[in-house]
Amino acid sequence: MSILLDVADVTAGYGNTTVLRGISLTLKEGKSIGLFGPNGHGKTTLLHTISGLIRPSSGTIHYMQRDISGESSANIVAKGLVHSPQGNTLFGDMGISETLELAAFTPRARTDKNLNLDYVYKLFPRLSERKKQLAKTLSGGERQMLSIGCAIMCSPKILMLDEPTLGLSPRLKKELGQAISKISLNGISMIIVEQDVEFLLSLTQRLYMIEHGEVVREIDRTDAPAHEEIMQLYFGGKQT
Amino acid sequence: MSDALLTTLASGLVLGSLYALMASGLSVVWTTLGVFNFAHGALMMFGAYIAWTVSEAAGLGLLSGILAGTIVTGLVGVIIERLLIRSFYGNRNMLLITVMTTLAAMIIIEKGAQMIWGARLKQLPRLIEGEVSLFGTTVSAHEALIIGLAPTILLALWAFTTITSTGRSLRAVGQNQTSAALIGIHVPRAFSIAFAISAGLAGLTGALLGSIRFITPAMGSEPLVKAMIVVIFGGLGSLGATAGAAYVIGMLEAILILTVGLYWTPSLMFLVMIIVLVLRPNGLFGRRLI
Repeated sequence: MSILLDVADVTAGYGNTTVLRGISLTLKEGKSIGLFGPNGHGKTTLLHTISGLIRPSSGTIHYMQRDISGESSANIVAKGLVHSPQGNTLFGDMGISETLELAAFTPRARTDKNLNLDYVYKLFPRLSERKKQLAKTLSGGERQMLSIGCAIMCSPKILMLDEPTLGLSPRLKKELGQAISKISLNGISMIIVEQDVEFLLSLTQRLYMIEHGEVVREIDRTDAPAHEEIMQLYFGGKQT
Repeated sequence: MSDALLTTLASGLVLGSLYALMASGLSVVWTTLGVFNFAHGALMMFGAYIAWTVSEAAGLGLLSGILAGTIVTGLVGVIIERLLIRSFYGNRNMLLITVMTTLAAMIIIEKGAQMIWGARLKQLPRLIEGEVSLFGTTVSAHEALIIGLAPTILLALWAFTTITSTGRSLRAVGQNQTSAALIGIHVPRAFSIAFAISAGLAGLTGALLGSIRFITPAMGSEPLVKAMIVVIFGGLGSLGATAGAAYVIGMLEAILILTVGLYWTPSLMFLVMIIVLVLRPNGLFGRRLI
């Protein structure tokens, strides 16, 4: 199975602050991975670096065997590597359908526009019920659906979701989880950032724990640790 | 209705049309980049001179002059964005810095025009000779053309920003640059397009105005102030609000000139703007502050 994304020894940060300190991970075709770990340790920064919002100061990011580090976000999206950022507020004064149509902006996304639009509305019927509603008047959950919907409109090969269920009710979280697993069953590889390890295990095959801008542990779904052990990973305690 | 009032109405329409063209350009740059372009009036003047050079000095006719004035000024707008604005994106003081850099551009263009074309007054012929009767009063055919052209161009601009993908991408960039980049929009390209459209509109206004007023290196400063009043008065950000406000201001100016005279009109217009902003802080048609 070929490697879709290969992040090798990447260092990046904001201004003089280094957040990622030589991080490496790989995503194989047809698989999804999850990232977890304490807040402020580089999960979001890693996604920003992969999607071109931040330039890595060293290291390489290979997507389908080509180095994409240093390319603009727009070019990276056009290749099918799509990022739905945390708390995406999108375009406040645009309606749902206008936003989704606009999101099919790159040439490859434009060819799949109608197909993807139908798919998004089927995935999130709530969006199809209020096509004219402005993004700024949507609830947190609806906005998250719109953000994921926009990412789908970009025709992704890899979809990166940054805390898609942050601040949502358990019911909405379950609903979004089901939608996300449907997307992954459709053959789209995913990189999902979440705090809830069990949630990640239900959606991905491999987890990376990120601490201090490094991968400190890799977990395969087949030998996933028990709940207590995960708690220990988060909060410290006796070494395993 | 009295003749004086009808004439006033007609001249208010002409003024409103010119302000609408000027202010919509200012508004496009503001909504996309969050920059208030103080060189907008100078770009208008530049468009008039280019039109004059092509039409009169080179003798290629007014229509080619107007076309050249629009296109060349649009390109100058792109250059201004690239040289004087682009490096300051993301800077915390971007708004203040670009006030200074666009003011610098204004001075450079004005002095440059004086060096190239001299201080002597120039004027363009009219696109169409003759007169047209309008609401029982007569205006020159050229003015009638402006009255008709302005809403047409505004409508086209509105259609561009609401229907086309490129136009929508400009609005998207104005509302959220990160989200725009993450759906594949080239943000710097959107900035260039916005500046090209804005400066092109300024150039067109100048080329049209050059047939009604004298072309001088300083001719842009008064329309710039008026366009600023219009944009702020209408409520920053929306094209419809800007266009509406342009006609309100045009009419108001014509009526004030008729009633209180030319001398007090500018100060009274500022007074009206201040009163409107006190009562409606988001502008006459504005919904919210950005």
